[in-house]
Amino acid sequence: MNHRLCRSLALALVLAPVAWSSGKARAAEGRVRLAYLQNDLHHLALWVALEKGFFREEGVSVDIAGVFHTGAEMMSAFEGGDLDMAYVGQAPATIAEARGRVRLRVVALVNAEGSAVVVGAGAPYRRLGDLRGATVAMPGYGSVQDVLLRKAMAEEGLGPHDLKVIVLKPPEMISALGSGDIRGFIAWEPYPTRARAQGVGRILVASHAIWAGHPCCILVAAQAFAEAHRALVEAVRRVHVRATGYLRAHPEEAAAVAVRYTGMDEATVRDAMKDVIYADELSVEAEREMVRSLVEQQYIPPVDPADFLRRFLLDTESLAP
Amino acid sequence: MRRQGLVLPVLLVAAWQFGALLAGAKGLEVTSPLDVLRGLADLVKGGMPPGHRLPKHVLYSLVRVFLGYSAAIASGVPLGLALGASARVRAFIRPLVDFFRPIPPLAWVPLAIPWFGIGVTAAAFIIFLGAFFPLVLNSAAGVNTLDPVYVDAARTLDASRLQIWTKVLVPGAMPCILTGLRVALGIAWMTLVAAEFTDVREGYGLGYMVMAARDLQRTDVVLAGMLVIGVTGLALEVGLRAAARRILRWK
Repeated sequence: MNHRLCRSLALALVLAPVAWSSGKARAAEGRVRLAYLQNDLHHLALWVALEKGFFREEGVSVDIAGVFHTGAEMMSAFEGGDLDMAYVGQAPATIAEARGRVRLRVVALVNAEGSAVVVGAGAPYRRLGDLRGATVAMPGYGSVQDVLLRKAMAEEGLGPHDLKVIVLKPPEMISALGSGDIRGFIAWEPYPTRARAQGVGRILVASHAIWAGHPCCILVAAQAFAEAHRALVEAVRRVHVRATGYLRAHPEEAAAVAVRYTGMDEATVRDAMKDVIYADELSVEAEREMVRSLVEQQYIPPVDPADFLRRFLLDTESLAP
Repeated sequence: MRRQGLVLPVLLVAAWQFGALLAGAKGLEVTSPLDVLRGLADLVKGGMPPGHRLPKHVLYSLVRVFLGYSAAIASGVPLGLALGASARVRAFIRPLVDFFRPIPPLAWVPLAIPWFGIGVTAAAFIIFLGAFFPLVLNSAAGVNTLDPVYVDAARTLDASRLQIWTKVLVPGAMPCILTGLRVALGIAWMTLVAAEFTDVREGYGLGYMVMAARDLQRTDVVLAGMLVIGVTGLALEVGLRAAARRILRWK
């Protein structure tokens, strides 16, 4: 926000005409600055669309403006005006919008489910409640996995302090589990499957069992961009829908694409893809539930989910008045 | 002089608050100094992440810095003195020091976790790397810049090797060693955030707190955390400067 302040106070007058004209020129050429999360198998539809040339066929020119480690980092890039659209976790995007950091519009769902709680391969745990008092890692506060873990803890009768929850980057989780530094972790695919393939861990609870059909990643657009270039945003949505359908129809070809983007072996990728539901249609009830969960965790200020979603979703026809 | 030093910060904060108010009037959300104070109150009362309160974050960070810094002093000062005093040691060790010195401590983070796990040792290691090289170089410079006439005079008076070290070289190099201690403490404190990428086992530390606030997109708390890091670092610097004045009273 200070970045925005500095920009508005010092540079806006000088650079605004240039930025305005370049933004206009970009949109006129059908160019979109797009970002995604590193090694996140949930974003496979984007990689398939890029590899198959679906964007080109729709007349959209994509600049990959960033490959980020976390959704929070990506929100900073939106705040700095460096992104037009992105594939990102539902939770960080919702927090950013609710806190007024950025103005975003949700264009489509990217995937549902596709995360899991992993424990050591030889660990005796049979359910999350058995981990009482143990150290469990998650990728970040306010992430989808954070929301899922808190839900699972509540369902297992665990209080907020009954697990020692710490933050680790997913690539470090597997080695920390192997060395005994942590007893479990929750992460998105392909990390749970990777832990299993390496013989380090096993899946204790898939996110499907915590919250069936939970939304995970979404396709978002900056509000200003969506308003100024609605046709372009719709074209990107069409590409996303087509790519999602394609990868569901051709999972083996999609797995080969994922191998190129993640550097992982094909067997692990194929196995991991089985836990992810690639879908493009948002469930409004699931969106409401996500907002309610974030309010419950005090990660966002209290809001009325229906009011919030009326603003947050690009298409609000499906919302009750 | 001290009052003059306050003028610019006060003006900057006032301009920031005014700018935030102006931006707010235009519908832009900009974190203001008052928001930062509210963020600070949240850190004390509620904590970040929720339930992890500020005093414990400060305590954990101080312990990590103390461990890394102490290890750097224990190894860096003797090595620096040896480098300054002996051409042979210099010939052997200096190329290695010059090779490792420019590598930023942050670059060691991916190795620190597999080597030391996610506990305090990994964090102390990162802080150690930040503090070690300024101590080596300043200690070496302290011996190098000492007038050889003092050593010659001690030898003439039949001083033993140990006496030359304890009565001439170490006291003579002390002003430079103390400069190294100050520089090293500053760098140790600056590497704290990077170090706390590694020691996440306890879920406490100022760097960890700032990263959690970033995850939850609380810019006010991020800025409040930076304020706490700055003020604590300044307090350490002032304390060390006062200690240095006492030690060098003989000068």
